[in-house]
Amino acid sequence: MSERFLYPKDREIYSAAKVKALESLLVEKGIITSETVDKVINYFEKEMGPFNGAKLVAKAWVDPEFKARLLEDTPAAIADMNFPRGMGGAEGENMEAVENSAIIHNLIVCTLCSCYPWPILGLPPYWYKDPTFRGRAIREPRKVLQEFGLTFADNVEIRVWDSSAQIRWFVIPERPPGTEGLSEAQLATLVTPESMMGSARAKSPSSP
Amino acid sequence: MYTNFEQFAAASLLGSEEAPPRSNGELCFHRLWEGRAFGMAIALSKKGHYEWEEFRQGLIASIAEWEAEHCKDDAEWDYYERWLLALENMVLETRLLSREEIERRTAEINAQIRG
Repeated sequence: MSERFLYPKDREIYSAAKVKALESLLVEKGIITSETVDKVINYFEKEMGPFNGAKLVAKAWVDPEFKARLLEDTPAAIADMNFPRGMGGAEGENMEAVENSAIIHNLIVCTLCSCYPWPILGLPPYWYKDPTFRGRAIREPRKVLQEFGLTFADNVEIRVWDSSAQIRWFVIPERPPGTEGLSEAQLATLVTPESMMGSARAKSPSSP
Repeated sequence: MYTNFEQFAAASLLGSEEAPPRSNGELCFHRLWEGRAFGMAIALSKKGHYEWEEFRQGLIASIAEWEAEHCKDDAEWDYYERWLLALENMVLETRLLSREEIERRTAEINAQIRG
């Protein structure tokens, strides 16, 4: 029976059954184990993703010494974090952090997804690889940021960084006001992937 | 450049139509079977049963096949159904499993689910 003739609920059951059939047969034949599949899923859900970058930023907000090190020697600071393998090592070697402040705003661009530091930032949004976005971000960053809902006074310098295989940039956003009493873990929840690319601010604790 | 196969595999899908759905920088699996299908495709390639590029081309082909018959905004579009089809084709092509055994097992499980 072809799935195209099935009603939505039947399609759903059919797909679920098909996946179970594939996995159970592959496991019975010793081709893969369910643990191997678990590990792959776990890798994407728990080990690699924007939650890593959020932890770095939150720690930098509460620990000035760590922030100084993160800016000075980003790979060394990342290596201190006990992240899973592959981030402090070869993959993280070229990372560079830049800090937003009251007078400097940083924006990261890159046209090659292979350069995107997603163990730290997560998977890039669809518009990120668009050449138009990158071209415009370099030519008219203020206007592009405005379209993202970010406006800056004239005295704020906008710096645009082009990630490459040599250097992969990420932004330490400004700590939002009204977060003095928050723990590091609570602060990390305010740090979005976009805020680490410079296309948004960190969330404020009052906003959902 | 990549130290890790999972990372290489996911990055190769990004920035085009075959990119998996994601939310706030993370992959999102809405149903349990999506994650299993995703994990199996990567695990099989990681173990050397096929090149990741072969799977990627299969996925592109299975998406193109759907698009040839549907409008772009068809509500029935389902990324992981296309992923599953590409995975099944890959498993058949590499002769890891036969069509008969997949159909038989699917029918059995289908009957169990429906009680």
